[in-house]
Amino acid sequence: MKIGIHGLTSCYGCQLSMAVVKRILDVSEKFDIKYFYMLSSAGKIEHVDVAFVEGSVSTDEDEKELRMIRENADVLVAIGSCAIHGGVQSILFSEGIGYEEAFKTVYGDKKMDYNGRIAQPLDKFVKVDYRLPGCPPEEEEIMYYLATFAIGSWPEEKDYPVCAECRRAGNPCILIEKGEPCLGPVTVAGCDARCIKYGIPCIGCRGPVSDVSWFDSLAMSFRDRGMDKEYVKKRMAIFASRYEGLNEMIDKIYGD
Amino acid sequence: MRYLKLGSRNIDEFLGRISNYGDLYAPQKISEKFYDYRKVEDISQVEFNYNRTITPAKKYFIPPKHEMFEFDMETGEYTETMGDVKPFVLFGLHACSIVALRILDGVYLNEYPDKYYAARRKAGIIIGISCLPDEYCFCNLRRTDFVDIGFDLFLHELPDGYLIRVGSERGHEIVDENMDIFEEVSNDDIENFKKFEKKRHEMFKYEGSFDNLRYILELTENSPLWDEESEKCLGCGNCTMTCPTCRCYDVQDLPDIDGKHGKRIRFWDSCQFRSHGLVAGGHNFRETKKDRFINRYVCKNAYFYPLGTSYCVGCGNCTYFCPAGIDFLKNLIKIRDVVGEVAHGEQ
Ligand code: SF4
Ligand code: SF4
Ligand code: SF4
Ligand code: SF4
Ligand code: SF4
Repeated sequence: MKIGIHGLTSCYGCQLSMAVVKRILDVSEKFDIKYFYMLSSAGKIEHVDVAFVEGSVSTDEDEKELRMIRENADVLVAIGSCAIHGGVQSILFSEGIGYEEAFKTVYGDKKMDYNGRIAQPLDKFVKVDYRLPGCPPEEEEIMYYLATFAIGSWPEEKDYPVCAECRRAGNPCILIEKGEPCLGPVTVAGCDARCIKYGIPCIGCRGPVSDVSWFDSLAMSFRDRGMDKEYVKKRMAIFASRYEGLNEMIDKIYGD
Repeated sequence: MRYLKLGSRNIDEFLGRISNYGDLYAPQKISEKFYDYRKVEDISQVEFNYNRTITPAKKYFIPPKHEMFEFDMETGEYTETMGDVKPFVLFGLHACSIVALRILDGVYLNEYPDKYYAARRKAGIIIGISCLPDEYCFCNLRRTDFVDIGFDLFLHELPDGYLIRVGSERGHEIVDENMDIFEEVSNDDIENFKKFEKKRHEMFKYEGSFDNLRYILELTENSPLWDEESEKCLGCGNCTMTCPTCRCYDVQDLPDIDGKHGKRIRFWDSCQFRSHGLVAGGHNFRETKKDRFINRYVCKNAYFYPLGTSYCVGCGNCTYFCPAGIDFLKNLIKIRDVVGEVAHGEQ
């Protein structure tokens, strides 16, 4: 089975996670890896059974590359928060800041040899067949996704929140107990509630739970615990700025 | 029934003795406000006065996540991997938790016999303890506030120790083998036991019966309350995961990367999750958050016929541990009011 592993605009953390799985030798035996940019820039995009794509579409070049990957792949898997939701770099979207303004603030009058834009997730451009969430994804899930493809099956995506794993793990709920701004209720499970285990509230790095993340209900719970709108909005937008209706849901609770 | 007394001075000794029968698990303080069952490494950590644990005792019989078996995709054979379950002692269950286990028995032993549950249930010694209700408790409305069966030993608080009821053959064996730490029950003890029961009874916030609730719920599915309350809901599943009688699980096959082997795992699921009602072909029995929200109310208020109680044992966990502050009991009371039914003492 032929696979390709690609990176658009991102930190390459997802590719790294795939490169360092403990059983990488078994993976390379099972799959014919046609493209893995992080390991070798010599590869060229050719037809594969499954293409894994990390990163957001943040330049015209990204979009072109993504379309080419899609045309050459039977199955396309978006890996990581950038590819699935646009990632941290898309935060400007919910703040309503345009690309030109953002560029100027950071780079001044410098010229770049690419045409940038505010980051967008893959599914704004191409059909995404499966999503492997995480920032970066967990090894266990990477192996699960690969193994299902290896036997000609497909992965079952989780559509429940971090809270489920938090309860299964027997952690105290720090949102109830300490009023911590935990985003566990709106973040897709898979990390075994890692941060909460260390007493740190979830910041939502794995991204929202497909289309069943109730940011309005959580905003209400935060508001009732005394958190102000700007803070809640900023926190929720870090990994979910591209989530449909995010701002409206927050406005509904706090008022415009 | 056989009654004994355990004097205060022998309590530590008692905990030490029962841990000879298997690994001891008991409620312990895990954070500022919360308690949970944990393995007892140090008996001074055992908590005798707690209201509720964040994980129900069901976790020892249906683990939150566990492997069922391994399979070989080439031969189509499978191998059980659970092994023998070592005997263990579960100390400190309140009456409602014990009824909850009996409800789970009905589902996992009688309705659809489940060997993983059966093996763990057989290995577990159950020691109950009396409790005083807080404002979240309504086991009295559910008639689960006192148990006469389902435990090996049950400890009732006295000013100077515990009155023990022996509830099973295993319970008899345990006391027989440790008679040196028990005493006979005196008339004072009986008076104190009665006093405790009276005080406890008076502490319940609500009085009355919820027996008609199931039908009232069925008749009020159009109440605006469902829209208002489900709107607040996060769909996070904390209510079902902390519920001692919620028994839904999901099963998943995890193939190995070698493409030849794999294992089947099972883990707690919740009807508050969209995929719970999703079936082949993409149809979903509970498409909206409101559908899922109502489902829990209907499920918990249905009758568990073998015991004649509802599936809800009135522990209050689902309210106490709801991050959205949704009050299950208040909602039930409101729903009853909608058709003019009010129990005594309700505000
Ligand atoms: S601590 Fe966070 S993730 Fe855990 S149950 Fe509470 S809200 Fe959910
Ligand atoms: S708890 Fe939240 S922030 Fe932490 S790893 Fe999991 S999803 Fe990311
Ligand atoms: S715990 Fe509360 S917010 Fe979470 S699913 Fe249950 S009712 Fe909804
Ligand atoms: S429904 Fe709520 S009150 Fe009833 S048994 Fe479950 S957690 Fe306890
Ligand atoms: S359907 Fe829901 S309420 Fe009923 S047992 Fe399952 S998780 Fe609990």
